[in-house]
Amino acid sequence: MRKNIVITGAGIVSAIGCSKGEVTRSLLERRTGIGEMQYLESVHHELPVGEVKMSSEEMKRRLGIDAAKEVSRTVLMGMMAVEQALKEARVERKDGRRILLVSGTTVGGMDLTERYYGSFFESDEHLDCMKTHDCGSSTQQIAERFRLFDDSTTLSTACSSSANALMLGARLIETGQADIVVAGGTEALTRFHLNGFNALMILDRQQCRPFDATRAGLNLGEGAAYVVLESETAARERGAEIQAWFSGSGNACDAFHQTASSDNGEGACLAMKEALESAGLSPKDIDYVNAHGTGTPNNDLSEGVALQRVFGTEMPPVSSTKSFTGHATSASGSIETVICLLAMQQGFIPANLGWQHPIEGGITPTLGQEGCRLRHIMCNSFGFGGNDTSLILSAEAPLGRKETVANEERTVEVAARVEITDEAALTEIKNYVKPMEARRLGRILKSALLSSLKALEEAGVETPDAIITATSLGCLENSVQLLNQLRDEGEQGLKPTWFMQSTHNTIGSAVAIHTGCHGYNATYTHGEDSLKWALADAEMLIRSGRARSVLVGLHDETTPEFCDIMSRLGKRDLKPLHSIAMVLTCGE
Amino acid sequence: MEELELELKQEIIKVLNLEDMTPDDIETDAPLFGEGLGLDSIDVLEIIVLLEKKYGIKLANPAEGKGIFKSIATIADYVSKNRKK
Repeated sequence: MRKNIVITGAGIVSAIGCSKGEVTRSLLERRTGIGEMQYLESVHHELPVGEVKMSSEEMKRRLGIDAAKEVSRTVLMGMMAVEQALKEARVERKDGRRILLVSGTTVGGMDLTERYYGSFFESDEHLDCMKTHDCGSSTQQIAERFRLFDDSTTLSTACSSSANALMLGARLIETGQADIVVAGGTEALTRFHLNGFNALMILDRQQCRPFDATRAGLNLGEGAAYVVLESETAARERGAEIQAWFSGSGNACDAFHQTASSDNGEGACLAMKEALESAGLSPKDIDYVNAHGTGTPNNDLSEGVALQRVFGTEMPPVSSTKSFTGHATSASGSIETVICLLAMQQGFIPANLGWQHPIEGGITPTLGQEGCRLRHIMCNSFGFGGNDTSLILSAEAPLGRKETVANEERTVEVAARVEITDEAALTEIKNYVKPMEARRLGRILKSALLSSLKALEEAGVETPDAIITATSLGCLENSVQLLNQLRDEGEQGLKPTWFMQSTHNTIGSAVAIHTGCHGYNATYTHGEDSLKWALADAEMLIRSGRARSVLVGLHDETTPEFCDIMSRLGKRDLKPLHSIAMVLTCGE
Repeated sequence: MEELELELKQEIIKVLNLEDMTPDDIETDAPLFGEGLGLDSIDVLEIIVLLEKKYGIKLANPAEGKGIFKSIATIADYVSKNRKK
């Protein structure tokens, strides 16, 4: 029988509170955490944000960290939320169990990088911050604090990162690779992504109004949330309190556009259907949907269509709690999962604040309910590149949960492998990609697409069942160009194309869009271990019969600025460009 | 106006990375989006940034760009009437 996965602890740090109690009160009192920025050092005070109401200095004080030590706000918030979750689940010692931390982030240590970027080229004073710039090192710093974790990894699929961290955590327990997984995500507000979203013109200058006809964009937020996942049997054995069952999850790719959702919400629809199927539930079983609901014209229209496709005439109450927290990007999935958990435990449906006018043909969100019994809740998280994930929490053990037993007789074979290390090889992209598509691709995207398409060709696979990407620094060239632009020109007119191609999952989504792959899509960004995790994930998919062909890629690049900084930190011989694309297939 | 149209073509080729194109390849009255040159929503954002940086024109909403960005001729007309620099 398939293992039931349960949640035995949760921690949350958000614009509406830094504990489960505070968040519950804000939700019930309908108090939004969105307002004028107090902590982010930006000129854009006209843009409301959902900040965590605490300075980084205060966070360090609470965590007992030396005030003089430079620690990213992403890491500080992550530590606070993980601490709460572990405490609640009463996981204090290893006791021979294998305990992992799985975290989602995209911004990582960017808050410190952007603060000191200009100084890196003048002195070595703040150079050490670059050691903790990448996403993986944020997770490692959080893990090290607790001296409890056997290993950790980082997922970065933009705004669905932490939802995918939860999904992976559950799969690691199901397949016996971990006994306990602390899963979630963390993301601090930065000038970098505030200006990036501003360049994409999807930020509302007023309070966001998800699913309202007059909605004009999202408000960025920040925060962290983690849950403790373990098998129901193990939880019962150690006498842990079961807060909810993690009963289903689905991951699909819209494969449509880097920053927009398709009109028919295909990716969202597939993710929700898969989540229902894996939980063994039908649409009528869902008592509440916590929507992705960012408040952008595009997301809310597309998600509404997808919800209507999945639920038809049996639409449960739907709300977006981003009207409380702002859009905490990578952390939003786990923040909203914890909000769903609170709703289930306290028996209420959170309001969709600010909604007044229905979208023509769209869905009507709930303005909140109290005193209700919620048995099954769906939580949606969709990311740039169409990385769509849907999770289901249940108040009782799911009976019809789909059995996907790993079959040891299924072997994993490498059907093709293509490596690119030379920029000159990229001219060949013209044979695979139309000039209008190729013109805006950065170097790493060309290299990723070219290696992937050649590997698929070699393996005789047109569209793989899944795409898994490993990258330690992602689209570094575009990120450095944006940092240079912020340093030289200030906070105005960032180049939209660069920002659109600066998230780590741009790489995997570009391949999905090109090959029309709507299947599972994930990106690991955990330093040198990124590829190890991507391969382990691919193996899980193939052995469980979920995929017969998986495209796995390792893609990284450096820039002269970055090489200069890293060589001063003692790290030399970085390759300017490196792509490995492999097609793994099932060889029963 | 011809001078402004040529300048716009050069700038658009640059910011949109239309690598193998020259100003002669873009017809002044031909549609830029859809069936024409084939530009998309990201290009709209790039042109909005271009107008702000080069001519001091601020558009608050990408939807405003729809009528303005039909062709090089319509952009030139709008720029000549609204430019701040």
